Amino acid sequence: MDKQMISVRQLTIIVMFFSIGTAILIVPASISQEIKQDAWIATFLGVILSLLVVKLFIIVGNITTNLTLVEAFENILGKYVGKLISIAFVLFTFFAAGELLYYLGDFMQSAVMPETPIVAFGIMFMLVICYGVYLGIETFARSAEILFPIFVLIFVLFVIFISPQIDIKNIQPILESRTKPLIHSILLFTSIFSFPLVVMLMIFPASVNIHKSASKGIYIGIIAGGIVLVSMITLAILVLGAPNASQMSYPSYAMAQRISIGNILERIEIIMAFLWITTIYIRTFMYFYASVLGLSQILKIKDYRPLVLPMGMILIAISLIVHPNIIHSNTFNNEIWLPYSSVFAILLPLLLVVVAKFRKIKSE
Amino acid sequence: MLPTIGILVISTAISLFEMPNLLKNNKTKELWVFIILLLIGTSLSIALCLKVNLPNPLDWITFIFKPFSDFIMTTLK
Repeated sequence: MDKQMISVRQLTIIVMFFSIGTAILIVPASISQEIKQDAWIATFLGVILSLLVVKLFIIVGNITTNLTLVEAFENILGKYVGKLISIAFVLFTFFAAGELLYYLGDFMQSAVMPETPIVAFGIMFMLVICYGVYLGIETFARSAEILFPIFVLIFVLFVIFISPQIDIKNIQPILESRTKPLIHSILLFTSIFSFPLVVMLMIFPASVNIHKSASKGIYIGIIAGGIVLVSMITLAILVLGAPNASQMSYPSYAMAQRISIGNILERIEIIMAFLWITTIYIRTFMYFYASVLGLSQILKIKDYRPLVLPMGMILIAISLIVHPNIIHSNTFNNEIWLPYSSVFAILLPLLLVVVAKFRKIKSE
Repeated sequence: MLPTIGILVISTAISLFEMPNLLKNNKTKELWVFIILLLIGTSLSIALCLKVNLPNPLDWITFIFKPFSDFIMTTLK
């Protein structure tokens, strides 16, 4: 199989979509639960903190110029330790993909089509993802490029249409929350927003055609994603109010339902749902692609394509197992995800950097 | 019964789609990995159809990370 390459612009767009991901759907509720109307401050600070996290990933990327993350584990940490960590990493991405499939199914079932079984959405969505992985990262990057202008257009329309409903009283009093919950929600937001970007290391140095400007592209991508999320959360608080937003499972969707321009332009929420269906698609694709590519590199298989369909089949089953209900998924996101993802997003990259320095593995 | 048959049909279709190419090019390792993954997928799906109580991997992860999460929750409350 030929090595597929993507351009820096495509990488930027993928990073943006990936970081928005599920956050656009879940984060408003879980953060406004904790610090009420100050959620937008936490998000804003979280985006700034994310730049540091991304810096770490870029340092790792510069050490392992031509390797994916899984290959880098093996190269730097040795054969056995590296393989063990790679397996853990592949399981991490695989379960995360299953979770996202569950979120999408749950969102579609509870908000849009209540009579359809959740597995139907999982199968339809997974077919598209399998097809994408089958065609490879290059095709996928091009499709992300096509989706980008539509995404921007719908997002801008969303902001314009919802702005008449803004009530500035909802955001007052500003800075009421105490420091500790604020720090916790910043960490919580960062863990959902930028920690998973570690998956980008599967494509970032290895399949980007120009290395030098790639890191700039990643920064731009994450800032663009941050702008979208900050405005989304600020709008959710301004329009719905913090008590309302914290009790809904999908505040962004509830907000879209409130759009009403002169009693004519109403009930356009499913068009607005394009926003998160696109971003969830991109995020699920990246997780799934990382786990398929990772598994094939652990087993030293050159062409990963035979693994796509069976793994997709397992993923559909996993998506039905991982979260029995929305309460389970909320507790997992708010309590476990932060330490769990920081092992893979902070500890392992740090370990890689330290060991590489110790063993004097230099970038080429 | 019907869902189980459906799943078996799907896995046969997947193997008919992938196997000839793997057999023709003598890719033994790929073939084994493919068969093992497909068997896992098929058995998981059939177990789900028959409403077998499957263990949830995220519960194990929750078990491992619960102390850390409790620590974070108590220090940042």
